[in-house]
Amino acid sequence: MESILSVKNLQVVFSGFKALKGVDLEVGDREIVTIIGPNGAGKSTLLDAIVSKSPVAAGNVYFQGKDITNKNPYDIARMGIGRKFQNPNVYNELTVFENILLALKGTHGILNSITTKLTKTKKDKIIDVLDRIGLLGDAATIVSSLSHGQKQWVEIGMVIAQDPSVVLLDEPTAGMTPEETHATGEIIKTLARNHTVVAIEHDMDFVKQIAERIIVLHQGAKLAEGSVDEIQSNPKVIEVYLGREKINDAA
Amino acid sequence: MAQSTIGIATRSRTPTRLGIVTAISFLVMVILPFVVGEFQVSLLSKLLLFGALAISLDLVWGFTGILSFAHGVFFTLGGYAMAYYLKLNLSAENNTYGGSLPDFMVWNGLTELPWFIAPLKYFPIAAIAMVLIPAAFAFLIGWFIFRSKVSGVYITIITLAISSALTTFFISQQAYTGGTNGITDVSKLSIFGINIPPNGLYWIILLFTTFVLVGSWWLTQSNFGLILRSIKENENRISYLGYDVASFKIFIWTLSAGIAGIAGGLFVPLNRFISPVYLAVAFGTQVVIWVAIGGRGTLIGPLVAAILLGQIQNSAERVTQDWQLVVGVLLLIVVLFIPDGLVGTVQKLFMKKQQPASTKQPVIDHN
Repeated sequence: MESILSVKNLQVVFSGFKALKGVDLEVGDREIVTIIGPNGAGKSTLLDAIVSKSPVAAGNVYFQGKDITNKNPYDIARMGIGRKFQNPNVYNELTVFENILLALKGTHGILNSITTKLTKTKKDKIIDVLDRIGLLGDAATIVSSLSHGQKQWVEIGMVIAQDPSVVLLDEPTAGMTPEETHATGEIIKTLARNHTVVAIEHDMDFVKQIAERIIVLHQGAKLAEGSVDEIQSNPKVIEVYLGREKINDAA
Repeated sequence: MAQSTIGIATRSRTPTRLGIVTAISFLVMVILPFVVGEFQVSLLSKLLLFGALAISLDLVWGFTGILSFAHGVFFTLGGYAMAYYLKLNLSAENNTYGGSLPDFMVWNGLTELPWFIAPLKYFPIAAIAMVLIPAAFAFLIGWFIFRSKVSGVYITIITLAISSALTTFFISQQAYTGGTNGITDVSKLSIFGINIPPNGLYWIILLFTTFVLVGSWWLTQSNFGLILRSIKENENRISYLGYDVASFKIFIWTLSAGIAGIAGGLFVPLNRFISPVYLAVAFGTQVVIWVAIGGRGTLIGPLVAAILLGQIQNSAERVTQDWQLVVGVLLLIVVLFIPDGLVGTVQKLFMKKQQPASTKQPVIDHN
């Protein structure tokens, strides 16, 4: 299978500490890949390195065959990689509508931003996104007054509006109720119809709901890779989550 | 679905009312010279320019979150450009030494006009220089600061340093800048041979400040303004949405310096001199105070604050020389009790009235 995102021998070093010790990752077009692993395994760092949030010490990241290692974050975003951060990284002082509007796919130049109008097409696109994340009624609400789960949805909405080829999600369901988590899973499954999704998750029910392939990270290296069943019966994985009967409790 | 529930429409109601208030104020201001005395007209002209300067700072501080003490510098650079024009156009009989060389240059032993000052004799060149020199200077600083990702308080420290360094530099280059005294005894403003009377100058300034206010409002209502506000709240996030944050900052910083430069240029024919006093940190701080008291991110607030404080200062000066104490106390009150500033607080009260608190999910704020 042709990879849309390809990570080769990726290393990230934080003042002497090797957070990633040479990780390889191949993601196919429109695939859903889930990354799990204990705290400090380097999951978020891996996503950070892909979008140039953390500097890559060695190794390479390829997107659609092009080397994007350590490129400017805005260039990477424009090429088509969207990122949702762990804690909802949204604009608390802006309305839900404005948050989505900011993220909307299109040109991001200065003059364009001054002259551009809020056309019907754009408005419809935003309304469509709001509908998908279930926040249509809250369009004019200032984000700071939303609940934690709703903020997570706003950020997922931003990623949808961005319409990137590859969506990187860092714990999209953190802080959500089981119902909210399930709803999020459905949003992501719809998203995966025309996007590639790489998600970090702790909640194993959620992972089972969405995942096609799981990658287990441990201490900055890849420990295992496979389907849900393969991972759950993998002795190495069980050992990492020592003291726990099943990795269901991996959170 | 009701279109009114969607998006920003609900937020722009207050600005409409504000627009009406602004329009009425503008009309009142237009006829004011027929009602008040010459001194008030001159004072108001000055305060309107300070207001425009405060609005220019509001664009970078209130909207984009860059606190600058260097806006006095951009103002003064524009001021010097205009001052050279006015000085060089003094008629020979008005010039102390009869020649075409400005008096301070004669005193400092210059025998001919330096090549970089000579072109400012012509109004179009001076007018362009008044905008271009501060803007180009700002662009250069902005390029280094924002491309190298300096942010927050470090930018502010750099602006303080720039202000101090330029003050020292202008004082040291006495032969070219007039040193501590600056450029004094300039001619009255005349453009292409037409003399501009004080009322005419007042109307030009009123038009300019109104244009700055309305233009800034229009700019900040656009997507561009939305991007500035997001840069202020969290500049890292927006780069992952595909925006080149540094270029946006450089743009608004340069634009703001250009506005400050024009304000400075118009200030000189009114004030009849320009000196390094306006380059110094104390004046830069004054601009910051106008914006803080008026309300960051409100545009009209800084303008109102500059005019009000100017009037208070004028009245207080008759009673006591320690008027700065009054301003100091006012600033303390604002910082401690109304951090949104005067207009910011009024606007918030308005918004609360318009949007009755809806019964939403419990508020969880993670900041």
